[in-house]
Amino acid sequence: MRNTFVFMTILASMLFFGCDRIESPYLTLSETEEVTVDFPDLDINSVYRKVLIEEFTGHRCLNCPTGHQKLEELHGLFGDTLVIVGIHAGALAVPNEGEGYPYDFRTEVGNELAQEFNIDGIPAAIINRYPQAGGWGPARWLTKINAVDRSKPLAAIQLINEYNAQTGMLKANAQVTLLEPCSNQLRLAFYLIEDGIVKPQLNGTEYIENYVHNHVLRASLNGTYGTLLNTNGYLETGKGYTLAHKINLSGLDWNPANCTVVAILYDRTAGDVLQVESQKVM
Amino acid sequence: MRKLILLPALCLLAFSAFAQHQFGNSRISGDFGFNGMYYIPDSLIGAEKVDSKVRGNAFINLLYSNGGFSAGLRYEYYQFPLIDFEKINYKGQGISYFFVDYKNSFIQVTAGNFYEQFGNGLTLRAYEDRQLGIDNSLLGGRIKVTPYKGVYIKGVWGIERLNFESYIGRKDFVRGLDAELSFGEMFPKLQEAGFVANVGGSFVSKFEKADEEINVSVYPGTDSATTGVIPVNKIPQNVASWAARMSFGYKGFRFDGEYAQKMQDPNITNDFIYKKGDALFLSATYSMKGFGIAASFIRADNMDFRSQRMEKVNSQLYINNIPAINRQYSYQLISDYSYASQPNSQIGVQLQVNYQIPKNSKLGGKYGTDLTFNFSRFHNTDQKPVALASEYGTPSGTEGYTSSFFKFGPELLYQDIGLEISHRFTKKWKWILAYNYITYNLEKLQGHEGMMRGHLVASDLQWKVTPKHSLRLELQHLYTKDDDGSSIYGMLEYAITPHWFISIGDEYNYGNPDPVRRLHYFNVAGAFVWNTTRIALNFGKTKEGILCIGGVCRAVPASYGMGLSVTTSF
Repeated sequence: MRNTFVFMTILASMLFFGCDRIESPYLTLSETEEVTVDFPDLDINSVYRKVLIEEFTGHRCLNCPTGHQKLEELHGLFGDTLVIVGIHAGALAVPNEGEGYPYDFRTEVGNELAQEFNIDGIPAAIINRYPQAGGWGPARWLTKINAVDRSKPLAAIQLINEYNAQTGMLKANAQVTLLEPCSNQLRLAFYLIEDGIVKPQLNGTEYIENYVHNHVLRASLNGTYGTLLNTNGYLETGKGYTLAHKINLSGLDWNPANCTVVAILYDRTAGDVLQVESQKVM
Repeated sequence: MRKLILLPALCLLAFSAFAQHQFGNSRISGDFGFNGMYYIPDSLIGAEKVDSKVRGNAFINLLYSNGGFSAGLRYEYYQFPLIDFEKINYKGQGISYFFVDYKNSFIQVTAGNFYEQFGNGLTLRAYEDRQLGIDNSLLGGRIKVTPYKGVYIKGVWGIERLNFESYIGRKDFVRGLDAELSFGEMFPKLQEAGFVANVGGSFVSKFEKADEEINVSVYPGTDSATTGVIPVNKIPQNVASWAARMSFGYKGFRFDGEYAQKMQDPNITNDFIYKKGDALFLSATYSMKGFGIAASFIRADNMDFRSQRMEKVNSQLYINNIPAINRQYSYQLISDYSYASQPNSQIGVQLQVNYQIPKNSKLGGKYGTDLTFNFSRFHNTDQKPVALASEYGTPSGTEGYTSSFFKFGPELLYQDIGLEISHRFTKKWKWILAYNYITYNLEKLQGHEGMMRGHLVASDLQWKVTPKHSLRLELQHLYTKDDDGSSIYGMLEYAITPHWFISIGDEYNYGNPDPVRRLHYFNVAGAFVWNTTRIALNFGKTKEGILCIGGVCRAVPASYGMGLSVTTSF
């Protein structure tokens, strides 16, 4: 009988924590914007599958400039079919004024991605977000990009930016058309990246004060993994789904002329980016 | 593919080698099953060309037992499964079930996979139905204790199986507790006096990590259309349900009842509402010589309870089960119109009366005549949107609706009025004649448009030619102007017991509104039974439809081809 009492006590206490009570309100109206642009008719023949490479880097990382150089080589090789996002994250991206690296390139989005993909050594990159703990080193980037099946496009993203230089308001509008059936939930994220940021960088043992940082992730307009399209994430093939989000660039030290919006169509369940598109802000 | 064909033969040889082995107190037993088919495309019936023409499902169960200790495993090979199973993603291979178990008169401890049911299953039912492709066994641990005669306590913890997907990385699990008191066993005098009295209660909770917000379309279809977000901290990670049940009986009378409630559980099947769910199941039966009556009532509202909130595929990851209380039929022509239990919205009744016209009476004849009358009717539950849901134009992210508990909703889901007459003329001849009027909501139950109202007349004539030879003729006619229109069906079966069975049958959808689809679906089948082994072959066509067992259904795609089925136990 005593054993039963102990057994019951353990189970009852386990079950006591078995129910969450949530207080209303449950729903927050998001800042999703209405799409206000007209998208041209989609020419499926002009659509090709682009590849996303997200490189984890840091200004105090001595090998990272080698990674940047490798990225530029790949960009030359693949042209606009390769979309690069540079993510400053981890211990070597932490600012250190004493050593001459006062600027903070890090973002919440970048930190979350680094955590999600267990990035512990940089430079490292993930390609189309295939789940690879720790990412891949520069020597394997070309192989991994080539491993992406680009024989047919899975989806199309039409991206139109509206930028108001007076107010600094940037609005990204996108229309996604699924070209091959996908039974998983799909989400679209708008990232903002910037080229031509001149800030210090360690290169081997050399301190380069005026290093040009490109493809630097600045922010996401709608969270790390974006927004579920069609509210529940399930899309029909051939149908256009639109989404728009805003960000205000006023008061920031970002140069809109050097900024680009990157739209990422992500299947988080399968761990795959179906399509990625980029468009200059202005 | 060659492997697939050789698999049943190899397994049969292997089993014969170590069948029924007993080593001292140890015993090894098991069973094997193979169900394969060679597919032939048929564009008329909609049987698609499949990439692998030869497909099959195979499994083997092995069980070792020694006194109170037992251990077992099941290996499943569904790498090239029958197309029905591929469509529900039941595809893969591996050891899908394994356990070790110890029990004595006080305690039973199980580690590994196990099946379990609390009460009527309103809070927990982990079970397997191989025909439906359901296996939601829990991988974890279970303890059952019997501290006193008639007192039963169970505790479970586990992760639900999802086809052949890995358990590693799963962010959800289920735990539960159930207790039952059987007064008849505690106080034997009650039992001796003809009383049955049990009470029980259960508590089940699921955990699922909430790491993604839920997006909701607000003010849809208006100029103000926008997106709402249910943030992560507003998604319950622990969702509980509880139930209380009782049963009471005295001689020919028995009453069972269970009430269950589910706490806030916004999920894709209920449009992410925060209303509590509830279910009530009542059943009363009375029987005496030559007469029996059974009446049941069920109400279930917002009771779709699954391990993962974004899972919506029918039958996958169900934690509980809301039983279908309607009478289940095996008639071919109404199999497509079987009622599928609606855990989120159903209220209904079922009444069955059995009467035997006495033997040696004018109507009863020498052997008596059995009459069975049946009535069942199910509606959706009464639902009135809460103010916020009306304002947002969506129930998502709100309490959803209010519901008057015993009020029937406006939509009829299913109704069946039936009469069955069973009469034995002589020792050799028996005839069953049945009539049913079925009303079936195609839109709510199958996603097609409209209602099906149909009259079914079925006849089953059995002739025992000799003590070992028998012949059975089944004829059915479904008359309806709805859906695929009227059909007739005939089947002749010849059995030489206990070894041989042969049958030939045909269904003709003569009333299909589309003349091109007025098609025949023939089937020829034969089976050989030897001890515990059954080998069956069939060739023919299957009409696209649904398969329901106990109110749980899955889609059946059209198919044409030759099937082979082998089952054996050892």
